[in-house]
Amino acid sequence: MSIMEYNGAAVVAMVGKNCVAIGADKRLGQQSLTVSTDFPKIFTMTDKTMIGLAGLATDVLTLRDQFRLKTKLYQLEENRVIEPQTFANMVSSTLYSKRFGPYFIEPVVAGLDKHDKPFICSMDTIGCINFAKDFVVAGTAGGNLYGMCESLWEPDLEPEDLFETVSQALLNAVDRNCLSGWGAVVHIITPDKVVTRSLKARMD
Amino acid sequence: MAARIDLPAGGFSFDLAKRNAALEAQGATAPKATKTGTTIVGLVFKDGIVLGADTRATEGPIVADKNCEKIHYIAPNIYCCGAGTAADTEFTTHMISSKMDLHRLTTGRDSRVVTAMTLLKQYLFRYQGHISAALVLGGFDVTGPHLYTIYPHGSTDKLPYVTMGSGSLAAMSVFEAGWSRDMERQAAIDLVKDAIEAGIFNDLGSGSNVDVCVIEKNHVDYLRNYARPNERAQKEQQYRFAPGTTAVLKASVRNLVDVVEGDAMDITS
Amino acid sequence: MTDRYSFSLTTFSPSGKLGQIEHALQAVSNGVTSVGIKAANGIVIATEKKTVSTLVDSSSLEKVSTICPSIGMVYSGMGPDSRVLINKGRKSALAYRSVYKEDPPVAILVKEVAGVMQEFTQSGGVRPFGVSLLIAGYDQKGPALYQVDPSGSYFAWKATAIGKNMINANSFLEKRFNEEMELEDAVHTAILTLKEGFEGQITEDTIEIGIIGGSAAVSATGEPLPFAFKKLTPAEVKDYLANIA
Repeated sequence: MSIMEYNGAAVVAMVGKNCVAIGADKRLGQQSLTVSTDFPKIFTMTDKTMIGLAGLATDVLTLRDQFRLKTKLYQLEENRVIEPQTFANMVSSTLYSKRFGPYFIEPVVAGLDKHDKPFICSMDTIGCINFAKDFVVAGTAGGNLYGMCESLWEPDLEPEDLFETVSQALLNAVDRNCLSGWGAVVHIITPDKVVTRSLKARMD
Repeated sequence: MAARIDLPAGGFSFDLAKRNAALEAQGATAPKATKTGTTIVGLVFKDGIVLGADTRATEGPIVADKNCEKIHYIAPNIYCCGAGTAADTEFTTHMISSKMDLHRLTTGRDSRVVTAMTLLKQYLFRYQGHISAALVLGGFDVTGPHLYTIYPHGSTDKLPYVTMGSGSLAAMSVFEAGWSRDMERQAAIDLVKDAIEAGIFNDLGSGSNVDVCVIEKNHVDYLRNYARPNERAQKEQQYRFAPGTTAVLKASVRNLVDVVEGDAMDITS
Repeated sequence: MTDRYSFSLTTFSPSGKLGQIEHALQAVSNGVTSVGIKAANGIVIATEKKTVSTLVDSSSLEKVSTICPSIGMVYSGMGPDSRVLINKGRKSALAYRSVYKEDPPVAILVKEVAGVMQEFTQSGGVRPFGVSLLIAGYDQKGPALYQVDPSGSYFAWKATAIGKNMINANSFLEKRFNEEMELEDAVHTAILTLKEGFEGQITEDTIEIGIIGGSAAVSATGEPLPFAFKKLTPAEVKDYLANIA
């Protein structure tokens, strides 16, 4: 068993027209035993930047706290809000500093920069950034998500259309993955608001 | 500042190594890092160096990135192609470029390729091949054009035409057939493009587009996606879902701007 | 064990003053004048380059230094001390860049260098730096000019001078400075400020000028930067001097 499959996760982010979406499933498992169906994997870092953490749950919690600390210190020290791209670079160097004893986490960053330009990226466990212009995925349903996104995604989706697209991609991907699912949450970040929706999903 | 809270003073942190080893002892396998499978090449031509790379990044059999950048900046006159573990090539070249920066500032002279090569080989040798970066380093300095390959264990070669990565055999077959001394600029670019395309089409670890970087005396042309032999066909139809398709259990909104209905109340007097 | 006895030399006098820091400021006042002016579209920093003898090859002296592509520095006071701070500044800019992949904002870099100077007023076995610095840079918020003193305190200025002739130079700047000044004018004003109380002939070999703004440049990662710090070559300084004379 791969350690990345111990708890199970599915995280996806997509770019729309002046907006980004980031979604994840809610399951926390211990291999085939489901422990919780309300385990958050996406965390707010700044008003317009979120990070999704797929992988080993203990590291999800550790890194959530660590990144929260670092963004808040950045804000205090530099008197400005960290940009999503800068945040992603910080996450990347944090992971790479543990190159030979890594956190078992694949992060996904989504946000709008100070000009409200969409930014998304994903990383492997040691911080290699994948800057994509369309969508990024992570977790045990990653392969399924690639397939779903590759066919459903199209450029310049408005927030409401983007929500349907990312939700359908996520729900249908986790339905073919035993280790993730059991509920899902999707955030749509637009210049003036963040809409968070819990999705009705299969509970099997 | 940054270094104080974010990064250890140098080198890597092994805090989690014991935990991870214990997990592995219990049968858990460690995840795969993003690799760059990769075809990277370089050659010397009449007026300088041409570097080339494909743009596929892989995670096992999955294509993780269809258009990544594998030609990294080292100095204004030096660039470096990277193959192997993507994070290693990325961070190693970035660190060496910082060192070259500092060296340029303290000496007041332009960087030399041999300096970058020496820094890279000493760094990689120190880590005994555990940092898996296989590099093609090229540049034009005060002593002329130079082209090196650097292996993950720290050995180096200086040759007039080189290839690296899983597609190196395919690319080398093109070079062996087509390279000659003192090639013209366009002929050199074309040969590099052909070599990378040989990798793209014959090696599974390489794919997508061709990046080219031409380094001449006092001039660099970074030709990102010089050739795009694998364009995606336009989708003929689209999967749009009608609003409301997805069943929502609960929704909440966090407003980032203050919404005021009509005119705000006058509270001046 | 030795450090048990090597407590800091900088101890408060009964009147609440730190003698060593005041002496360090005196060392700065003995140094040649440096001037910095923030223009509407950039910044200039300039200094005298004084040699002990006409036989010294002045092209080997460097008093205006690049810290990172967007930040430059000049000092008044002791040259050797300044080099320690330049190295620390450069290294901390690189450390910042290794984490965030971008140059530090000027205020952060200044805070870092000032932090080093403060440490040397309170640590055992060391003495304060005998230099004041002018740090000029350009970031998201626009141009910024800071002065850092041996105590580690720092201030942002529109225009200021440090070193031997700072009092006269500052009153000269107060008269000449205005907010709409363009970079070209600022360079002229900086030269004129140095000219006040300049000993000997002012030539391209006896002053050094650094500017930020105007010229396009390349960042450490190879991307184009809208503004970058640049030292003027002797030929460029000569042109400015010709315009003034």
